Amino acid sequence: MAKTSHGPDLHVDLAGLRLKNPVLLASGTCGYGVEISDLVDLNMLGGIVVKGLSLTPRPGNPPPRIVETPCGVLNSIGLENIGIDAFARDKLPLLKGFNTKVIANIFGETVDEYAALARKIDRIDGISAIEVNISCPNVKAGGAAFGANPEAAAAVTRAVRAGTGLPVIVKLSPNVTDIVEIATAVEAAGADAVSLINTLLGMSIDVKKRRPALKNVFGGLSGPAIKPVALRMVWQAAGTLKIPVIGIGGITTPEDAIEFLMAGAVAIEVGAATLVRPAAAIEVISGIKDYMEANRLQNTAELPIPRAS
Amino acid sequence: MSRFDVDARILRNEGLARNIFRLTLSAPEIAKNARPGQFCMISVDGKSRFDPLLRRPLSIFDARKDGEIEFLYSIVGRGTDILSQKKEGDLMGILGPLGKGFGMGQCEHPILVGGGIGAAPLHFLAKRLKTAFSVVIGAKTRDELPGISAFKSLTTRLLIATEDESIGCKGVVTAPLEEELVALTKSDAAGYLIIYTCGPWPMMRAVHHICVKYGVRCRVSLEARMACGIGACLGCAVKKADGGYLHVCKDGPVVDSAEIDWEAEV
Ligand SMILES: Cc1cc2nc3c(=O)[nH]c(=O)nc-3n(C[C@H](O)[C@H](O)[C@H](O)COP(=O)(O)OP(=O)(O)OC[C@H]3O[C@@H](n4cnc5c(N)ncnc54)[C@H](O)[C@@H]3O)c2cc1C
Ligand SMILES: Cc1cc2nc3c(=O)[nH]c(=O)nc-3n(C[C@H](O)[C@H](O)[C@H](O)COP(=O)(O)O)c2cc1C
Ligand code: FES
Repeated sequence: MAKTSHGPDLHVDLAGLRLKNPVLLASGTCGYGVEISDLVDLNMLGGIVVKGLSLTPRPGNPPPRIVETPCGVLNSIGLENIGIDAFARDKLPLLKGFNTKVIANIFGETVDEYAALARKIDRIDGISAIEVNISCPNVKAGGAAFGANPEAAAAVTRAVRAGTGLPVIVKLSPNVTDIVEIATAVEAAGADAVSLINTLLGMSIDVKKRRPALKNVFGGLSGPAIKPVALRMVWQAAGTLKIPVIGIGGITTPEDAIEFLMAGAVAIEVGAATLVRPAAAIEVISGIKDYMEANRLQNTAELPIPRAS
Repeated sequence: MSRFDVDARILRNEGLARNIFRLTLSAPEIAKNARPGQFCMISVDGKSRFDPLLRRPLSIFDARKDGEIEFLYSIVGRGTDILSQKKEGDLMGILGPLGKGFGMGQCEHPILVGGGIGAAPLHFLAKRLKTAFSVVIGAKTRDELPGISAFKSLTTRLLIATEDESIGCKGVVTAPLEEELVALTKSDAAGYLIIYTCGPWPMMRAVHHICVKYGVRCRVSLEARMACGIGACLGCAVKKADGGYLHVCKDGPVVDSAEIDWEAEV
């Protein structure tokens, strides 16, 4: 068969959102995008999920906030952010200058806060979708508490759904016994898509100082170390849900991304890899394209592999 | 601000003293744009992206017109240990120059105060200063001060303190620093004094307090645990005097010492 002149079509439709390719930058690992736009050509990306936003600014956790672990990194940033208003005023106008989809990642301490954020964002021009973080392990109130309980997760999803006409992506926590149960609950509550996984709860001890390496004691594990766990959960969710699944967790190379797409993810997010090498996501995009060309695939929809019934 | 992420070849990686190495890379874009006080993120295991996962921040020790850039580092853990085993010709991933540097003024008499390996960024500063300046350096022992000879050709006012008295006077930097301050406040330099310092947190805190006492402006080069070095993760937080946090990689590493909450735990 002759190679087509256009090459493979990388675009994906995600809950009514057309992305030019399936690769997004994950929340919390690319700032608000503009900070790193000299090192990553944002125009090349399917989209960018900005740092988690709350109604009012949050200072975050005391340091140390970062510790390296084998093939991974633990963080306890504590959702430090400038707040939705400052984001819309100071960052978004610059971000709008790039030809990519901007997805707002949001976080609230109560269901009402999530709803208020959704209503605000609905009125802001330049944001294409909302990713709802119900899974941050680094804050005391809210956060993971919503993500670990199907009823609470559904309540947050309903509240956000009611507040906006934008696509609603619910970001799931891996710190649960049954990911399918939570995923099914948020689907039933009106989510347009789910993204998973957020970080795995972990800790590290500094043996020289004889104290936890992170001031917050616990932190969220990300990076290559979590990829097998993430892939398993994405496989489970994609096998059960009707809504699209976005795969996240340790994606560093094109092969990693292709594994997630084969497991049934419609799109993927690159997280910690961007911290290590800002242009990692760009390399992932060209690697996916090369793979599809080499295997004569026309569309990313041809990537998912069959499941034994 | 121009930053570059390049694969740079190692020209030299030499042990200068026990556990202290000087790394020389060929990275013309970075060397050309580097300013004193800035740093780079270096992947210690060549281009490997898995283990160790994160790059390590190192201050720029020197950057020259020939495109060479140098770092002075001490082995403190796994990453710097792996780095010390890298050989001439190896390719290293390096991202830089990063952060805000010392920002030298026009008519100043700077006093450079360094502790141990903290002398590294001060060396680059000393080379670029066009005005007269003093240097006060301290360490536990002379072995921790291999970079010191480089300062000798750059200034006549070089004061050294070691805790074991193996070189210079016995003790820490604070005593010679106060002597120098007292001497200079009686000279033409009075009114033009500024302190640039880099070293362990307790030393910089002591230097800050001395600067408050003498009413001298003080610029400190901070350290923090970093993941990205480019303002993307918000990991490198240091508590501010007026509440909240600043981020060492983008607000610093060099900041005014008055901005910092020196009583905070680090
Ligand atoms: C802006 C900046 C500039 C720096 N410049 C230099 C320099 O010019 N020369 C030099 O020798 N070192 C410098 N450092 C410190 C250097 O980055 C750390 O020593 C190094 O990352 C340790 O890596 P490791 O894997 O060997 O140690 P690890 O095994 O990771 O840790 C060993 C110990 O080193 C300390 N440490 C680890 N990471 C950091 C870090 N990012 N910042 C501070 N302390 C850390 C901790 O106390 C830890 O207990 C700088 C740090 C920063 C933030
Ligand atoms: C430093 C850091 C900050 C993060 N902040 C957020 C956040 O604000 N909101 C969120 O939903 N996820 C956040 N995450 C989670 C990532 O988006 C991602 O889900 C996780 O790191 C797993 O992917 P990775 O292994 O590719 O990093 C953060 C991760 C890191 C490393
Ligand atoms: S190290 Fe990532 S923001 Fe400073």
